[in-house]
Amino acid sequence: MVGSNTFRLRLLQLYLPLAFYAVFLLFPFAWMLIVSFKPANDLLDTTINPFLLYGFTFDHYRYLFEETDFLRWTLNTFIVTVGATILSLVCSILIGYALGRLRFRGGNTMGVIIFLAYLVPPTLLFIPLAQVVTRFNLYGEYWSLIFTYPTFLIPFAGWLLMGYFRTIPIELEQAAMVDGATRLRAMWTIIMPLALPGILSAGIFCFTLGWNEFLYALVFMSTGTMKTMPVGVVSDLIRADVLFYGSLMAAGILGSVPVAIAYSFFVDHYISGLTAGATKG
Amino acid sequence: MTDQRVDDLVREATRMRYSRRGIMKRASALGLSAAAANAAVIQSGKAAPKRGQAPSVRQNRTISILAGTYFVPEAQEFFDQQATEWGTQLGVTVQTDYINWPDIQARIAAAVEGGSGPDVIEMRDVWPNLYFENMVPVDDLANAVGESYGGYFDWVTSSVAVDGKWFSVPVGASSAAFAYRMSYFQEAGLADPKVFPATWDELFAIGANLKEMGKPLGQALGQSTGDPPGFAYAYMWANGAMEREEDGKTIAFNTPEFVEGMQKFVDAWPLAFDDTGLAWDDSANNRAFLSDQIAATINGSSIYIEAQKAKRGASTADYEVVVDPADIWHATLPAGPSGPFVQLGSWSYAAMTYSPEQEAALEFITWWTERDHFVPWLEAQQGYIIPMGPGLTDLEVFTGDPALAPYATVAEIARNKGYAGPADQKAAQVSSLYIITNTFAEAIQSGDAQAAIENGAAQLQRIYGR
Amino acid sequence: MSVLPIEAPARPVERAKPTGMGRILDREAPLAYLLMFPGLFILALFMAYPFGLGVYLSMTDKYVGFANYDFIGFDNFRYLFQDTIFQRTVRNTFVYSFFTVPFKLVLGMGLALVLNNHFHFSRFMRAGLLLPWIVPTAISSLAWLMLYDSVLSPFSILFKNWGLIDSNINFLGSQYNAMAALCLANVWRGVPFFAVSILAGLQAVPPDLHEAAALDGASAWRRFRDVTLPVIRNIVLISTLFSVIWTFADFQLVYVLTKGGPANSTHVFGTYAYQLMGFSDLGTAAAVSVSMFPILAVFAVVLLRYVRAED
Repeated sequence: MVGSNTFRLRLLQLYLPLAFYAVFLLFPFAWMLIVSFKPANDLLDTTINPFLLYGFTFDHYRYLFEETDFLRWTLNTFIVTVGATILSLVCSILIGYALGRLRFRGGNTMGVIIFLAYLVPPTLLFIPLAQVVTRFNLYGEYWSLIFTYPTFLIPFAGWLLMGYFRTIPIELEQAAMVDGATRLRAMWTIIMPLALPGILSAGIFCFTLGWNEFLYALVFMSTGTMKTMPVGVVSDLIRADVLFYGSLMAAGILGSVPVAIAYSFFVDHYISGLTAGATKG
Repeated sequence: MTDQRVDDLVREATRMRYSRRGIMKRASALGLSAAAANAAVIQSGKAAPKRGQAPSVRQNRTISILAGTYFVPEAQEFFDQQATEWGTQLGVTVQTDYINWPDIQARIAAAVEGGSGPDVIEMRDVWPNLYFENMVPVDDLANAVGESYGGYFDWVTSSVAVDGKWFSVPVGASSAAFAYRMSYFQEAGLADPKVFPATWDELFAIGANLKEMGKPLGQALGQSTGDPPGFAYAYMWANGAMEREEDGKTIAFNTPEFVEGMQKFVDAWPLAFDDTGLAWDDSANNRAFLSDQIAATINGSSIYIEAQKAKRGASTADYEVVVDPADIWHATLPAGPSGPFVQLGSWSYAAMTYSPEQEAALEFITWWTERDHFVPWLEAQQGYIIPMGPGLTDLEVFTGDPALAPYATVAEIARNKGYAGPADQKAAQVSSLYIITNTFAEAIQSGDAQAAIENGAAQLQRIYGR
Repeated sequence: MSVLPIEAPARPVERAKPTGMGRILDREAPLAYLLMFPGLFILALFMAYPFGLGVYLSMTDKYVGFANYDFIGFDNFRYLFQDTIFQRTVRNTFVYSFFTVPFKLVLGMGLALVLNNHFHFSRFMRAGLLLPWIVPTAISSLAWLMLYDSVLSPFSILFKNWGLIDSNINFLGSQYNAMAALCLANVWRGVPFFAVSILAGLQAVPPDLHEAAALDGASAWRRFRDVTLPVIRNIVLISTLFSVIWTFADFQLVYVLTKGGPANSTHVFGTYAYQLMGFSDLGTAAAVSVSMFPILAVFAVVLLRYVRAED
């Protein structure tokens, strides 16, 4: 009696809502997956149930690997995203530490300015940015994106880390400094390890935004094989007025599922990294 | 006589910095004898270099070419091969880049503003009027190419040339015609399935029958650059309206004939057309046609080519033999009270001024537009691209398949965007804001033809009157 | 997510040792600027300079690729205020943002509450339900484009086969449908972000507090309101702020699905600016983008004030 009651409660409070969310959030992926395995002819057949597979093919995936530079694009995206993430993280850690743990005149203003930097839309920036990218001879190089992505990564990650650093008791650092450590040394040996969850969260966040970026990748780095995955896929799989839906969806699956799997290992750290600030609220 | 031609060639070769091979090619294109060609080579100082001597062209050069992704993949590969072949001869590394059509302009904008980017760019339609300050003037080359293909069509000149000057070399464009299903039209009352309704009125009437059969007409009217304006401009001209008069300022859009024609179209929309057309982009009508949901639509020859490909079982896109290509026929757009028209703008190739390799870029364009290279490329396009001059329309690729005939002949009734003015910057602005297309979309949404046209005229006034 | 900055109280140290503060300030300022230098350098070069240039361009009649242009003050803005498409754009952007954000918030909160339970594969589920946020928008919006396809939408095909409808569903072909379709796709993409942020907040709710309240006989709703909500309040506000910023500046999704159509009825700032760029009108395009900035800044400042005021 009690047992069945708990089960009913659990069903109502957990499994049903969970099922609703799973359907709502994963439905488009299910569709992508179906399309990526659907034989080309079935997509145009309006007499069959479009959500079922009446045939099965790897052609779309094969096309991706044999007829396009998909692997190279993925590698490019990876290099650019990792590069931009590392650069942004280093800068953001330093900014976050300075704004979060050091008291200095103009600190608050600086924090607000960095936040406002986040509000500037890329559609405004990309043309003027093109001049900067050219001036530094970065056009068509990985560096063009590694240096431009931080414009939207640093404001966000810097803010996130500023809050995180504030949650770490300052006494820890002071104790170390009393023991003779320099501030930088205390920062490196005491604070950094404690801030790791926050840094990880910020890193994951940066990685995701970088992985998704399209406009800068399109205008600054889309020559030859130097394309990121989203740009390459859209450029090669939309031919004039024909869309290669099967391969486009296959690319979507291949481009996101590995990241999702990586997330599943990090997701708890990710969340705990975000949590620290909340406990102080 | 021969000497004169050799001299001309030498002068041309010096001006255009032809390679040795380029001179030979050009000589044979001009019909010079081998001896005369050799003389030209020697006179222009391009004789084969002695052993150990640096070749006449600097080494280690790289040029990149930006174009829209080809509809015909084989043609894209063919172009790659051509570029490589040319590059190998001259010791130039050539890199070709193809990107999705709607994204090209963002790339060009960043390139010209930043001052670096592709050395050669495939310009679409009226774009030379937007970017000419950054394009290397090519009057001589463009005129020479035009001459060798029987001159340019008017719509080519009016869309590519900027104030009578050339900054890019026209190559033709994808064309527009009605693709339709003969069997359905016959069933709906068309006497001869190969004779398409000659007027829009007749087409709307048959369209009503077709829609009752569940196979309506399909017309894309979304914010897309290909098929929607392909219809809208043509229907506007056919019904006695234009964006503006020849002076370029006086709006000639809000005419009684056009209001009447628009009302006819608005009335016909629910009766004869697929209702979802307002959301269609360039690709939606292809899907609608190839999934057997509509009986006719205005398009390039891509529908037919895809259907054929599907039938051959070689389809890599998502289409199969739902529609038999043998049932597809093409027709030029029907006439209105003012006659039949079609809107076309030529593509063209430009060398960019910011490029450190302008010479190589021009050299490539020169080489590639020679008959020996250009015609095979045109043929590789399977009729999707129609040529820029009448001298090429009798190629087998345009005449071989009677089903495709209208694509090459529409050139004669083609007008440019911005007509009766030139296809200038303002015409490009009107086009990019989809003002003409949206007048139709608004009329359908509101049902009020008069109000939609007045609104459209006001927007045109704001741009052309400025 | 970045609740943190606002939430953190002023450092107790400074309050504890007021006398030493001046000295610390003196020593800390140079270090602070030294540490911030690399980040600020990159931002100044790749952000501040282009932004300044962009603002300047919005006050010129600059066309892409033309070397000559004039400073024309606020003419572009004046032009825009009379431009019916721009008025429409502003309205759409507000509708788009203020209609989707509450949905994202409520659905995200619900998802967070669900995920806060322990169950089998909960880690896997957490990562899986983040997918909409991970997959490149350029590609996920193509999946939505297929689902909304005017002629080959699987829903249209299915319902037609079942005899429920006679003609294809007009997802994107009428202004209201198109707007609703965009909102749905946007909500889909935005829910996971709210869910993860709020989930982070929920994990900070002390479980014993909940139990105590439950023992006192507080209903589930009261426990949520009195125990949970105060803890996650700031995280909710900040997430909302970020979500509004992203939605306001959204470009990709609208661009892929409608390009602002039909008949300009679904333009948002991003797509309209991009379309103006299409014919090279850099000045007006920049003006469109720039005019978005003050709206967002006001919104951000108000919300941040509100968050701080309650601290």
